[in-house]
Amino acid sequence: MLGYICKYAPIEVFESMGVEMKRIEPEVSSFNQADVRMHPNICSFAKGVLEEIMASDYEGIILTTCCDSIRRLYDVLREEFPGRFIYMLDTPRITKEAGARLYEQRIREMIRAYEGFSHRKFDEEAFSSYIREKKEAASLSVRTGQLNIGILGARANERIREILEQKGANVAFDITCTGLGRKVLWEAEKPMAAYTAGLLSQFPCMRMEQAAGRDELIRRYADSVDGLIYHTVQFCDNYAYEYAWLKDWMKRPMLLLETDYTRQSYGQILTRIEAFLESLRPGIRRRERQTEGRDRMYVLGIDSGSTSTNAVIMDQDRKITAFSVVRTGAKSGDSAERVLQDVLKKAGLRREDLSRIISTGYGRVSISFADENVTEISCHGKGAHYFNPAVRTILDIGGQDSKAIKLDENGEVRDFVMNDKCAAGTGRFLEMIARTLEVSLDQLGAIALTSREKIEITSMCSVFAESEVISLIANNKEKADIADGVCHAIANKAFGLLRRVGLEKEFMMTGGVAKNPGVVRAIEEKTGSSLYICEEPEIVGAAGAALYGLEQLTGKP
Amino acid sequence: MWIADKYIDYVKKQTIQDPEESWKKILMGFKANKLRMNLIPRKGISKGYQKLEAMMMSFVADSLARPDSYIWGNIFAPCELVRCFQMGTLSIECLACYLGGYHLEDHFIDYAQNAGIAPTLCSYHKTFVGAIESGAVPVPRYAVTTSLSCDGNLNTFRYLEKKKGVPFFFLDVPYQDDAASVDYLAQQLKEFAARLEALTGRPFREEALKESLRIENETRRELLRFFELQSRHYYPGELISHMYMMMGMHLLIGTREFLDLLRYMMEEIRTYPRFEGKRILWVHLIPFYQESLKQYLNANEQYQIIASDIILDSMEELDAARPFHALAGKIIRNMYNGSYENRAAAVEKLAERLHPDGVIQFCHWGCKQSSGSSVLLKEKIREKGIPMLILDGDGIDKRNSHDGQIKTRLEAFLEMLDAEGRERKKIC
Repeated sequence: MLGYICKYAPIEVFESMGVEMKRIEPEVSSFNQADVRMHPNICSFAKGVLEEIMASDYEGIILTTCCDSIRRLYDVLREEFPGRFIYMLDTPRITKEAGARLYEQRIREMIRAYEGFSHRKFDEEAFSSYIREKKEAASLSVRTGQLNIGILGARANERIREILEQKGANVAFDITCTGLGRKVLWEAEKPMAAYTAGLLSQFPCMRMEQAAGRDELIRRYADSVDGLIYHTVQFCDNYAYEYAWLKDWMKRPMLLLETDYTRQSYGQILTRIEAFLESLRPGIRRRERQTEGRDRMYVLGIDSGSTSTNAVIMDQDRKITAFSVVRTGAKSGDSAERVLQDVLKKAGLRREDLSRIISTGYGRVSISFADENVTEISCHGKGAHYFNPAVRTILDIGGQDSKAIKLDENGEVRDFVMNDKCAAGTGRFLEMIARTLEVSLDQLGAIALTSREKIEITSMCSVFAESEVISLIANNKEKADIADGVCHAIANKAFGLLRRVGLEKEFMMTGGVAKNPGVVRAIEEKTGSSLYICEEPEIVGAAGAALYGLEQLTGKP
Repeated sequence: MWIADKYIDYVKKQTIQDPEESWKKILMGFKANKLRMNLIPRKGISKGYQKLEAMMMSFVADSLARPDSYIWGNIFAPCELVRCFQMGTLSIECLACYLGGYHLEDHFIDYAQNAGIAPTLCSYHKTFVGAIESGAVPVPRYAVTTSLSCDGNLNTFRYLEKKKGVPFFFLDVPYQDDAASVDYLAQQLKEFAARLEALTGRPFREEALKESLRIENETRRELLRFFELQSRHYYPGELISHMYMMMGMHLLIGTREFLDLLRYMMEEIRTYPRFEGKRILWVHLIPFYQESLKQYLNANEQYQIIASDIILDSMEELDAARPFHALAGKIIRNMYNGSYENRAAAVEKLAERLHPDGVIQFCHWGCKQSSGSSVLLKEKIREKGIPMLILDGDGIDKRNSHDGQIKTRLEAFLEMLDAEGRERKKIC
């Protein structure tokens, strides 16, 4: 069995020789081997392929010169596996005649090399009749009555498709590298020349000169769906250019989704896709009223975050009856139970008085007593609109992630961006720095306001920033000034997120970090406008969840 | 703070507030800097390196002042061919560095990232994209890029073509080194020459290109001799001096002016005392702003960078009789093309010739093609008995390079070289 990764790989050549060809779709738990043999900053897909090859028994692999990371992957694989057929196929970026001619020559050289390696024989006639039977698979399938989603960008693994299907969406097309059906051209006279020309004339990927032609096809395909997922791979930079270009003119809602080919990223992918689908179908599914025998109706929204678990009980008139905030312990299920008891006590209610419970937050699926879960992005949108209908842009900085959400006048989510797997600019980062400065988290914000000297924390990575802070302490800098520098570092990061969703006023800040006056001041300076912060900024998501519950019961938004 | 710093601060503020209106001020700063370099000598730096810096500043300032006199290119674009049409090639990587002179790199990088460009992309490309997209820097009428040596090239130029309407010529450099590849690229170079003829209305004279290649051969031979001299003589320069040398070898190679400067430097270096310290062979880009590296490697009699692979990334003797094939062959056999083995072999060859005490490879943020083979290169260099250090950081964005971490690694490495030297002395 030979592995391959790229749609330009001439797999039919090998198949006609009776070789089993397998497209490598890594899903790994760590990059332990790759980080040692390559470098941590290499494309995650390339690192995943290395892990996969090291863990399995491929006879060899056909690589193409598709990008820098794959070029280096080839070098490493050849060093590691001198006995296997590790082949680098030099693939032209020009699809015109000169490119096709050169590619045919390269493919023939590869066949000779494989014949030498395997002692199999390539027979051009057998190849010709093999490819003659191949049919191009249909690439667009729109279904009525379902949300239709198109996937584009860098190679996307099966997980994205699976999640979409589980959530009831139809994948109308997938025009990432390996998503399209293969295009195989056959011609009796010169089968190899026609085949090669066919390979190069597939929907071009970003490495090809003709990639400019992608726009037209994307525009045509995009018109037929409700939303688009633009996928990029961590440390693969090529597709972000296209995303940056498309988002200027693409009218369809588009979610930028970065993945890294590890199993751990599943949760993050899930939240983003769910929130995106929620934003595409804001309609309300009506539920049965569960208030028989009682004159008042209560719902509970519960937001399980990484730092705090928050609960809000709301009555049928959309009034908050009680709320509670507890620290999230090691098990999110336990904290949920605690916050439930606490909020019921504060409201003077019993568990049976609650008509509906909606959970949100990253631990939302672990709350067994919830009737349903909704992502924190949609809930923050709804909650923010509830507290202040003028809000159009929300900045939520929580313990482990930060996000900016854009709302329309009805409080529906129009766009959102989240930071990635990095603590920079989150509550965790502030906690880390507070510990280093030996002040409490509450003090950190307060002392920042007394700062006199401007200090710039330049490191973007939180680990680097911490050591930068340690150097500043060593240089006898004042705590207040360092704290202020840290607040500004967070503000810069937050401003980047806000800009990406469009900087529309009014701004609201939610999440625990909104209680930090140093950060709030720094963000206000940066945006030049004031931030609306409600009395208890940590409960906005839970309030939104409660509102979801109410809407489901009453059918009214 | 002296006047230049104040001006830098002023221009930075203006550019952030009003990018479209600040270009004249940016340009004026470059021109003033050119004058300053030509008039006021600096202490502690050799005259040769000062002249080199002034030459590069003049090249950039003069080109930018006359928008029709240059096209954009990447650092591997064939400037010899462009020059046949009386135009210069301003590489986007170098432009990014010069804009960094105004400490604008962070602003431009954030601008590009906020537009959606990947944060993990090379910071030179991000700086450039941000500068152009924000409207702070005007655009020329044409551009050229090779696919060598990284994915960013085609994508950056294509992005700016779409966003800012700068058309470009794309040169696809095959991975493999054989006659078919050379023919393929030579044909593209011919098409490029035809395109430039149409663009400028000037006829192509093959003789001009041939003359340029002859000078280029001479320059490359002299450079190797210069490296040898630099491994024997203390020749004070700065980190950035090596970047200027790299710039000259890629953007001004083939000109008489650059060859003459190199010869001047070879004369001058002989007047300097013997170098008794540790000789460093540098691999890849140099973060010229990094405090600790500056402290140890700027004009220091104990540690000196004697050569770098980015200055001499091709050792090809060009056959001027077939100029297009010669240029194609040079680009294909560039050490950054193909397998990492090409680069390892070239670095080894330099090491055999120059006998460095240590090799330092700098892994620049976002540069997959270079960082990805750093571990393999280290194994090869170690087999030669030469210690090698891998440093991670960023060639332009200070926020991705932590000085404390670099300092510790660098000092430990230099301590190791010093200890080895003492051991060797004892044995002798």
